[in-house]
Amino acid sequence: MLLQIQSSQAPEVDLNKIYDAVVVGSGAAGGMAAHVLTAHGFKVLLLEAGKQLDVTKELHSMQWPYDNPHRGKMPPQYKALTYNEYNFRNPPYGQNSKYEKVTSYIQQWNGSDYSKNIVVDEKQHPYSGTKYAWVRARCVGGKTNIWGRLALRLSDLDFKAASRDGFGIDWPISYADLAPYYDKVDLYLGVSGVKENLSYMPDGLFQRPIKLTPAEFHLRETLKGMGRIATPYRAGVTTDGLKHNKYRSRCFGRGACDRHTGGCDIHAAFDSPTGLIRPAMDTGNLTLRPNSTVYEVTVDKNTGKASGVSFIDSGTRQGYQAKGRVVILGASCLESTRLMLNSKSPSHPNGIANSSGHLGHNFCEHLMGPSVAGFWKDLVGKPRTLDDGKPGSFYVPRFRNMEKQSSDFLRAYGFEGSSGTTMIPGAAFDTPGFGEEYKKKVRDYAGAVISMGAFGEVLPRFENQVELDPQLKDAWGIPVLRFNYKFGENEKKMALDMAASGVEMFKAAGFEVVSSSSHMLTEGWSIHELGTARMGSDPKTSVLNQFQQCHDVKNLLVVDGAAFTSASAQNPTWTIMALCWRACDYLADQMQKGDV
Amino acid sequence: MPGVINRRELVQLLAGAAVALQLPAADPLAPLFFTKDEYALLDQLTELIIPTDEHSPGAKAAGVAAYIDRTAAEAVDPEERTAWRNGLQEVDQLSKRLHGRTFLEASADQQIATLQKMSANEKKPGTPDEKFFSQLKSATAFAYYSSSVGIHQDIDYKGNVILQEFVGIAVS
Repeated sequence: MLLQIQSSQAPEVDLNKIYDAVVVGSGAAGGMAAHVLTAHGFKVLLLEAGKQLDVTKELHSMQWPYDNPHRGKMPPQYKALTYNEYNFRNPPYGQNSKYEKVTSYIQQWNGSDYSKNIVVDEKQHPYSGTKYAWVRARCVGGKTNIWGRLALRLSDLDFKAASRDGFGIDWPISYADLAPYYDKVDLYLGVSGVKENLSYMPDGLFQRPIKLTPAEFHLRETLKGMGRIATPYRAGVTTDGLKHNKYRSRCFGRGACDRHTGGCDIHAAFDSPTGLIRPAMDTGNLTLRPNSTVYEVTVDKNTGKASGVSFIDSGTRQGYQAKGRVVILGASCLESTRLMLNSKSPSHPNGIANSSGHLGHNFCEHLMGPSVAGFWKDLVGKPRTLDDGKPGSFYVPRFRNMEKQSSDFLRAYGFEGSSGTTMIPGAAFDTPGFGEEYKKKVRDYAGAVISMGAFGEVLPRFENQVELDPQLKDAWGIPVLRFNYKFGENEKKMALDMAASGVEMFKAAGFEVVSSSSHMLTEGWSIHELGTARMGSDPKTSVLNQFQQCHDVKNLLVVDGAAFTSASAQNPTWTIMALCWRACDYLADQMQKGDV
Repeated sequence: MPGVINRRELVQLLAGAAVALQLPAADPLAPLFFTKDEYALLDQLTELIIPTDEHSPGAKAAGVAAYIDRTAAEAVDPEERTAWRNGLQEVDQLSKRLHGRTFLEASADQQIATLQKMSANEKKPGTPDEKFFSQLKSATAFAYYSSSVGIHQDIDYKGNVILQEFVGIAVS
């Protein structure tokens, strides 16, 4: 036998045994699947393509910019893609770059020293087709290490949207089905917020809420008169702490949570490694193998059921097989889809569980870009206050197309906003001039600024899809995705309304509007890819049933954003986890009965 | 002061870059990329953009030129360095056209007049000197407001501290 010279960074795991479940991906979805199934006593193998990073060492949440060699920006040999690069070229991006590593734009415009090792190298992970800002994190925990942590619930306005406006299909569940699981997620992971009794964005079981700045409070009071709400940011952050989790601290309002994608190094903000995976390991039922790039779901020729997965060690490139009674995909919406498309066999010639032809289609997300920025005169030149010691500022939930269709576009959008003094004042970069006058103006306006940006539902259109590129492969020789995805007329109309309504609300509050925009950022910017293996009641028009089992292959589940039937205006992570918990509870029951 | 960059440390860090740039490695106080004359011009320009005033020290005290010098020295793309060098030459040429002398030789009022000309179309810069002003201003603003002087002395930022309770107006 030849000796393997290149050693794997992955721990030795037993690949001879048949696990109860093989889970692919360790972010919000895969982590939750691992948690729920191990809690039921099942033996789970969790495979993650990326490294096991010590994110506490990466994040440095309280580091001052001047104590960082590059003031929080990435080292010079790293390069983050810019808006222009996404918009005026088609992918693959980053090929033939003179930089050592090319990353996606990662939330802040100039790249972040803190997330540079969390996001992937575009050179190793190319894709093709239409322009798309695809942010991917390959490491244990995935994007939960750097997520924006807005933790919202969907409602029947979303689940039954198709019945109301005729577009697409309804979700195969209603809010009543999911509400108990939202509750479980809230209690297990912690969420901060204020109860508002909104039918269209239901309350959670909230921990200590954050507080508003004077400008935000003033906006809240103003919007009440317009039948709208500005509510304190509903953050997937434990503000009171969690007695059952020794790996996470409560939030101490250190703030600057989004400073160059700083992340939370005390894990008050939910992340999968400390929120889900380490507790799951403590059950003794979880085996984690990082550096495991899964490229195929294997199929039992006799039964047509999933038998496990094939993967290669991301470092040594040695090939392995893992076997499980069930296979659960939580590799992220598009990576799970790519894996399924790559899993071709005689019984599944177009990719596994794709008899409907809908796999890769109905691709949707959130539209971003339209925004409004201004200041409140009452605060100009006022003594400095502490404004950003919290995990988020405020959220304005949807207000269009509520009881009935009332706009020239379908569906809705909400706004995420913030205000007040930040560590590095934005006013420094958009105040014209120079000299003492400029300097004073930056200082005087730093605490008076307020801005908000919209997140809108992109319609799940069949023609918006991803497929396999017939030629292009990633650094591991695995065929990559080709995008055929564009915003359409509905999104353009919505973008115009977003900008107009943003200005309307600011003016109503008496804020001076400095800038507003209806310009849409590149597709993908929201990092909310959804819908490419959607749930539905009809196997002819959907990939998954209401318990996220593939209609075609009952022991194969997809538990990430791919399962969404529509995008909703609300951010997806909390719903991904609630759905996954529900699916895994059902699966556990079925497995105990021997039905799967 | 924590904001002041330790130049000796920098020189050690950047030994590789310095060799690549064929810079003399001897003087730890020498600029890493700019010539001494260029550096003096840059230092003055940044101070005029963010001057010392009654409230707080300005760009010179915050080490803005040193930060820009370092980013230019480290840049992977040589065009970034060229842009800085050419831009500084533009400033001197503009000063000569306007006042018959280089920027640093010009009077204080003349220096301001040159900068006013450069910043005339800040929203939509067209000429090379207008474009250079945008580059210079945004680099100066970032270097200043991310420095210890900018964060603590000028802006008097209150955050990045441990709070038992959130600050602000409670709603329920």
